[in-house]
Amino acid sequence: MTVYAVERLRIFHGETPLVQDVGFAIARGECVALIGGSGSGKSLTCLTPFGLTPMRATGSARLIGEELIGRPERALAGIRARAAGFIFQQPLTALTPHLTIGAQLAEAWMQAGAPRPGRGELTAALARVGLDRPEERLHHHPHRLSGGQRQRVLIAMAIAHRPRLLVADEPTSALDAILRGEMMALLTRLRREEGLALLLVSHDLASVADHADRIVVLNQGRVEESGAAAQLLAAPASAYTRALLAATPRLDDPAPALPAPGETLLAARDVRVSFPRPGWRRGRAVAVENAALSIAEGEAVALVGGSGSGKSTLARAVARIGPADHGTVDWRGTPLPSRTRMTPLLRRLIQPVFQDPVASLDPRWQVADIVAEPLHHLRPELDAAARRDRVMRALGEVELDTGYADRRPNVLSGGQAQRVAIARAIVADPELLLLDEATSALDVLVAGRVLALLERLQRTRGLALLMISHDLAAARRLCHRILVMDDGRIVEEGPTERIIAAPAHPVTQRLVAAST
Amino acid sequence: MRARVPLVLLALVLLAALAGPAALPWRYDAIDWSAVRAPPLSPGHLLGTDSVGRDLLARTLVGTRVTLAVAAAAALVALVIGVAWGAAAGWIGGRTDEAMMRIVDALYALPFMFVVILLMVLFGRSILLVFLGIGAVEWLTMARVVRGQVLALRERPFVIAAEAAGARPVRIVIGHVLPNLAGIALAYLLLTVPQVVMVESFLSFLGLGVQEPLTSLGILVKDGADDMDIAPHALLVPGLLLVAILVCLTLAGERLRDQVGA
Amino acid sequence: MLRLIIRRLFTALPTLAAVILLSFLLMRIAPGGPFDGERPLDPATRAALERSYGLDKPLPEQAVLYVGRLARGDFGPSLVYRDFTVTDLVRQGLPVSLTLGALALLVALGLGLAAGLAAAAWPGRWPDALLMLAATLLTALPSFVTGPLLVLVFGLGMGWLPVSGWADGDPAHLVLPVIALALPVAGAVAKLSRAGLAGVLGQDHIRSARARGLSPARILIRHALRPALLPVASYLGPAAAGLLTGAVVIETVFALPGLGRYFVQGALNRDYPLVLGVVTLYAGLIILFNLFADLLYGWLDPRIRA
Repeated sequence: MTVYAVERLRIFHGETPLVQDVGFAIARGECVALIGGSGSGKSLTCLTPFGLTPMRATGSARLIGEELIGRPERALAGIRARAAGFIFQQPLTALTPHLTIGAQLAEAWMQAGAPRPGRGELTAALARVGLDRPEERLHHHPHRLSGGQRQRVLIAMAIAHRPRLLVADEPTSALDAILRGEMMALLTRLRREEGLALLLVSHDLASVADHADRIVVLNQGRVEESGAAAQLLAAPASAYTRALLAATPRLDDPAPALPAPGETLLAARDVRVSFPRPGWRRGRAVAVENAALSIAEGEAVALVGGSGSGKSTLARAVARIGPADHGTVDWRGTPLPSRTRMTPLLRRLIQPVFQDPVASLDPRWQVADIVAEPLHHLRPELDAAARRDRVMRALGEVELDTGYADRRPNVLSGGQAQRVAIARAIVADPELLLLDEATSALDVLVAGRVLALLERLQRTRGLALLMISHDLAAARRLCHRILVMDDGRIVEEGPTERIIAAPAHPVTQRLVAAST
Repeated sequence: MRARVPLVLLALVLLAALAGPAALPWRYDAIDWSAVRAPPLSPGHLLGTDSVGRDLLARTLVGTRVTLAVAAAAALVALVIGVAWGAAAGWIGGRTDEAMMRIVDALYALPFMFVVILLMVLFGRSILLVFLGIGAVEWLTMARVVRGQVLALRERPFVIAAEAAGARPVRIVIGHVLPNLAGIALAYLLLTVPQVVMVESFLSFLGLGVQEPLTSLGILVKDGADDMDIAPHALLVPGLLLVAILVCLTLAGERLRDQVGA
Repeated sequence: MLRLIIRRLFTALPTLAAVILLSFLLMRIAPGGPFDGERPLDPATRAALERSYGLDKPLPEQAVLYVGRLARGDFGPSLVYRDFTVTDLVRQGLPVSLTLGALALLVALGLGLAAGLAAAAWPGRWPDALLMLAATLLTALPSFVTGPLLVLVFGLGMGWLPVSGWADGDPAHLVLPVIALALPVAGAVAKLSRAGLAGVLGQDHIRSARARGLSPARILIRHALRPALLPVASYLGPAAAGLLTGAVVIETVFALPGLGRYFVQGALNRDYPLVLGVVTLYAGLIILFNLFADLLYGWLDPRIRA
């Protein structure tokens, strides 16, 4: 029985078409996934018929036989309240901050006209989505819950009024890898139990593969291809889908051939980092405790773990661009001085690339000046002409048109900005790159190309890499070894293939499970 | 186009205040014995004269000049203290930051106009003290805004990248932090000026600010209010001019603040 | 909530102590003593006066005495109003000033919130633009300009309302002063509530509420209003200070027997005990009021209660 059917859907912003001729149907208990990069129109497609975007739609979208297109907002609000539930990307901000979990859940429960629920019913609803201590949580305000817990509450609210259709717009993108897997499993379980029709929106083909019955691939507002999930993944018909699949690293890809590492380059021991707790109360929150790691010449080491596990803090402490309470870091056997005493000679050795490419570049500087900044301090012997020459060479090396040299960052796309950041990192010839989630803010295809660029730099320059990631499959493309962090400690380490084939620590097991 | 109206008006007022008095036949403190309480449009006195026969147009222009000069000086004092305090708190961070901002919070809770008046009473009424005093109390908002910006900038990846690039803290502050702060500081400077104008006029209105025979818009409003039943224009002209200046400065400052996005 | 109260008290009490100490020190270091009037006193009278106020004792002991007198509500003698102590003047003037300030605060909140909500209901349309321009105009209108203008138009021009005097709190005598005092604060409240609501209405949790099909009225009142009022709540402290300050002018313009007018006379005549007493008293009042505003803030935003 078809719950939701979309035909010839077109969406316009003014007179500009953004989505053209999209169609799909979802039956009871079925999951259809809309897949595409940013700007593909996937979110517009699922939200506009319900009146949740300011855009205009034509065509047809029927929910349990009732037409949505062309209906006034009042009618759409009624349909949303009765028959549909919605989950959005940002669990941290999707709950009303001044109302308790219980009050918000009760409101959602009653939105289709059901009588006020009792405490028992609310507690059961929270228990059902896997929230621990549900009774207690009813009285809590949202800020006391973690991102994963809030997303569970939002799921409980989205199904509390027994809708027929659940619309999930990138429900896991803001969560770390472990939570992503758990949340997808929860959605699949609820869908089966309730007979819900699930419309899932994602940019990540791999993550929905096991959960969707059918997949619709969107590209620039048009359907590239659609079909049964297994079939589409096994034999993609369109070039775009193939590119998407190729750009998404998978744990069952053949093992990459990595360059052989040399002598030990960097060895850190007994690193501890803590931050003062806010307010005047005494005490410090320990972010990293008793951590040790080593990296050899040309070796790539991945630091993986959930959000808040301390991986970024540890890497920054080791690279001397973040605070550290104590701990020694040896570079080729000689200890590095503390953060404030690092000399230009030593600074040259380790260079970082960060997650957010736009925030990585000073908006007031030109690209050429941004890339040249390390040369001014780390290679003071170079004259202006030599600097310019090196900047241009670095831009060429990251495959960025040298015409961008005199532009400012605001005209760059995310991928181009990240290439500029990489050029800045390599321009002074470092020996170790610190990649702090360097591809995770980018679109799938762009991230794939940046990953390929890093792979090439690793080979041609013999660079050692310290790669922070929550994505095991991406780490596996570049890294010889994996270190797993949890709650400020390194809980497991070993060669990449061994960690993935036989994870020992529970956290590693959950990470591996979440990536396959 | 409409966005520039406040700035154009301000420029005109500034021009008139600076060049106007020299072009007039009467000095602001010269008494025309033949024309005491002359009505507007009298020969030689476009806006008439006050109760002792001083030319009202000359007094209004000079008063505007004094008011704006005090405001600019005090706003600069506020800018310097505010940026220095806020940037130091934000850059140093930690306990120092918290202590410095607690002081700002505590000062915020005080009725500042009264403290300024208290200082006037205790240490005499000099124009220098007026603007130093006002500047010294109007820096709090600037300090808060700047501190918030610096705190955010300090964690921005491009600042950390600059550290990794071997730039010394001074270079980072000069090269990355201050330029990214300039827009917002300018916006709040523009918004501080009307605050200061208000305080100065307030004090002068009460007779506690600028002293006769020198004049300011606040004194002129006060004189006008005393005589408003017989000569309402003596209240309306300086009053509306003062309001126009305040509105234009506020509109321009708010617009700039919204543009730089904070 | 209790923890918030305690924490705020920890900020408020040192501030109050600092104010008192500062006022005491200023009193002492000010050029010329409190008894340096126009006519020099003979040494014996002077010594007697100084002894009766403990001015011959060492500074720390004087400070203790000063705090003790403040605690009993004794602000010393007024030098301008020779027959009164500062405490007498406070007792007479404070009720007038507080009535004026409280009424103006209520009027400002009522007008400002109504205008802010109305503007946010039509974002970007003409009521929004008009109301916000009016609000900017109001915030830029100093009460010493609006006061005389109101007198000119409604009092002298149309003769609708009395323009001066207190008449034992007769409501008609209060209309113009309260409006003149309230208008700038109303403008600021309108701007803050408009901006707060616009910010909140764009947030994710409002989209979630809309997605659940809740009615616009329910979304506004139950989900948007409380967080939208946060900027207004944090403005209450400065607003109270602004109203007390504005009352000084309004009382002068409308010839009301409030504390502010005594204060101005004291300031013009270098009446230290009066000026210091009023400043200390007002600082204490405003610190108390800020404490109340903080608690309101805690009710609006549960995140800061912890």
